[in-house]
Amino acid sequence: MSVDFLHPGEGAAIEKDVPALELRGIDKRFPGVVALDNVDFTLEPGKIHALMGENGAGKSTLIKIMAGVYGKDAGTIRMRGREVDIKSPRDSLKEGIKVVFQEIALISEFTVAENIFLEGYPTGKTGSIDWKKIRADSAALFNRIGFNVDPAARTGSLPVSQQQMVEIARALAHEARVVVMDEPTSSLTPNEVSLLFTVIRRLASLGIAVVYVSHKLDEVFEIADTVTVLRDGRHISTKPVGEHTNDTLIQDMIGRRIDNLFPRQRGAAGSKIALSVEKLSTAKKLDDVSFEARAGEVLGFFGLMGAGRTELAKAIVGYDPITAGTISVDGQRLTPHDTRTGVRLGIGLLTEDRKSEGLMGELPVYQNASLASLGAFARMGFVDTAKEHRAVQDYVDRFRIKTPSLFQQVKNLSGGNQQKVLISRWLMRGLKVIVVDEPTRGIDVGAKSEIFALIDRLAGEGLAVVMMTSEMPELLGLADRIAVMCEGRLTAIMSRDEATQEKILNAAIG
Amino acid sequence: MSELTHASAPKRFIGGQLLGSSQLVLCIILAVLCIAISIAAPQFYSEANIIAILRQCALVLIVASGMTMLIITAEVDLSVGASLAFVGCIGMAVLNSTHSLALGMLTALAFAGGVGLFNGLVVTRLRVNSLIATIGTMMMLQGGVYLFTREAVQNHNQLASFTDLGAGYVGPVPVPVILAALIFVVAYVTLRFTTLGRYLYAVGANEKAVRLSGVRSERLKLFAFVVTGLCVGVAGMILSSLMNAGQPTAGRGFELTVIAAVILGGTSLLGGRGSLFGTLLGVLVLKVIDNGIIILGWNQDLQMVVPGVVIILATYLDIIRNRANVR
Repeated sequence: MSVDFLHPGEGAAIEKDVPALELRGIDKRFPGVVALDNVDFTLEPGKIHALMGENGAGKSTLIKIMAGVYGKDAGTIRMRGREVDIKSPRDSLKEGIKVVFQEIALISEFTVAENIFLEGYPTGKTGSIDWKKIRADSAALFNRIGFNVDPAARTGSLPVSQQQMVEIARALAHEARVVVMDEPTSSLTPNEVSLLFTVIRRLASLGIAVVYVSHKLDEVFEIADTVTVLRDGRHISTKPVGEHTNDTLIQDMIGRRIDNLFPRQRGAAGSKIALSVEKLSTAKKLDDVSFEARAGEVLGFFGLMGAGRTELAKAIVGYDPITAGTISVDGQRLTPHDTRTGVRLGIGLLTEDRKSEGLMGELPVYQNASLASLGAFARMGFVDTAKEHRAVQDYVDRFRIKTPSLFQQVKNLSGGNQQKVLISRWLMRGLKVIVVDEPTRGIDVGAKSEIFALIDRLAGEGLAVVMMTSEMPELLGLADRIAVMCEGRLTAIMSRDEATQEKILNAAIG
Repeated sequence: MSELTHASAPKRFIGGQLLGSSQLVLCIILAVLCIAISIAAPQFYSEANIIAILRQCALVLIVASGMTMLIITAEVDLSVGASLAFVGCIGMAVLNSTHSLALGMLTALAFAGGVGLFNGLVVTRLRVNSLIATIGTMMMLQGGVYLFTREAVQNHNQLASFTDLGAGYVGPVPVPVILAALIFVVAYVTLRFTTLGRYLYAVGANEKAVRLSGVRSERLKLFAFVVTGLCVGVAGMILSSLMNAGQPTAGRGFELTVIAAVILGGTSLLGGRGSLFGTLLGVLVLKVIDNGIIILGWNQDLQMVVPGVVIILATYLDIIRNRANVR
């Protein structure tokens, strides 16, 4: 590998007028699906270009074509005006396109420096690997993006945010002209996000064209120069970000307007206490947490990363062990402290991590929906599948779950529909308290309002909803009361009326 | 079950209940094998030969029935071969000293079930990976059986009922085949129609989701380990009846045959996916190959080589088929 990244722009001067990458008329079909239909996408050097769209809009297909993971069925790709043929990830890298996928593609057992030079280690005179040069060059690379990671650190020991930096450094080592970031902030803290943004701007200032794929509107407004929206595999719009507002962007993405993201249909909360938590502590995080949730209310928990929301959610449903305190559902103590007792008493968790804790991806929709209530469909230990299917079909209709059939593997559904399946799982069981942890994580804007409406409906039907969220609008839009956590402690509880963003953030900082 | 998990195809033709498409591949392989062998050696289709094949299938199918459940829960048991030998020796020894088939059987079941329980506890309580845990158990049993007896435990009683266990017939059907059929049907019905079966799939597909749903996932795994053990108990007694002795060297490589049959049948080692019907086909394919090699007079060492090739081929065909289904 010729390593002249230390002197950018010397080898090939960056011509401002020629697009860094130009895709024209890209078609991609999968059996039964048109994933991309005549899509154009043009990247200017030194500009940050947001690529937006709902799940299934074609964003991932498009970046996978750029990355050489998929081949295109039709269309042309030009790098700086020259038509190129990208058949494999290797071709893509060679042309100077670097995609940083959500799932970081680094070898976690290798050091940072080893990962950066994975594709071609510089060698010394004897043909042995020149470790000194590798370390020095890595350090120089990090200098250029203005970020410091120890090149000798084991990659797996770094947080995701720093692993992303390693990927970006790797892009520079390959003299990338185009860097694609696929939802890079989904697991970052606010601080890490602002650092990432600094680095992304730095990349742009080096003349690199950056593609920023994201769901999050506020991020796009903050960082992007241009926005391209895809919908149903088609190109909808490409505009400077300044010509967009929240509403126009959402409208482009979902093809219709959403008048009210947080429709409130339910009445006032009741006075009956459905969940009572007293002096709850866990070994690692929670410290003396007490609160009550009433039937028919949404109690929102806010906190920064690491505040202990997920830990609280898992502890109060009996999933994670506690060291002190009591939990009561409808006046009955949750002892022994396990999920079996929890579910029996009527408390359940809608997990933040659908894939690893919620869904049985390989199994069909109906089995996913009925998991918690199989007993209700059993006669002498045998499942009455007809009854079960009817019950699940009922929920599929009521919640408008989009699935070709009850027998579809749930992993093939969109995030929003998967979430509805998991909500059905609990409603079929019949709960008194439902704990929802980040209910709209990884869910499209369009589907979000449906999930909000569902949560509203749950409370309206008399459930106590305990909602953990890091999204301020979600919190203010849905909750009757707001509890704020900081480092495992409860720092404030306030009613919706007295809550302001400042008050909440102050309590969250502690 | 697996036709449900492969439900991307909305059409459900008659028989589709039984034949998930991965089973279809196996059925074709089986048919091709049978036709090819019988063209080369017409005696393949004699009644005597078919019964011989079924008898050889019986032992594997009994243990594979339990193993299918276990692998569906995303665990595996490599100690079944070693346990099989040990069970035979212990069962025979008890039989010799008590002159009671019932006591011998009970001891065998208790021992083998105990091995399953031990494996299950190590995996669910100590959280040791089942591959490692059961390799450990396998080594303990392989060594342990020699501490118990240095040579084969001979049959001193010649109880007719014990001899019948392995060598007897009901009408034209060998007793082991009947036992295997019974165990197979019970396991099939359990996996396919009961809540217990559903939970076994669910635990394999996502254990955390099952726990969050208020079901004790560890118990389900424990159950599958014990069932596998009990199946080994039955198979061990049949084997010692067939050999008329408890052989400490019996059962070498048996675990591989069993697991190969289950995997060949389309059950995923990752759990949550698979079917007993597939396992049945897997056992048949392996044993028809064995039999074919013998009646064709080929070198018997091919009995290991050919199944190896078939497993890779069948898995590859399955991947191709999946790729065609999924976009």
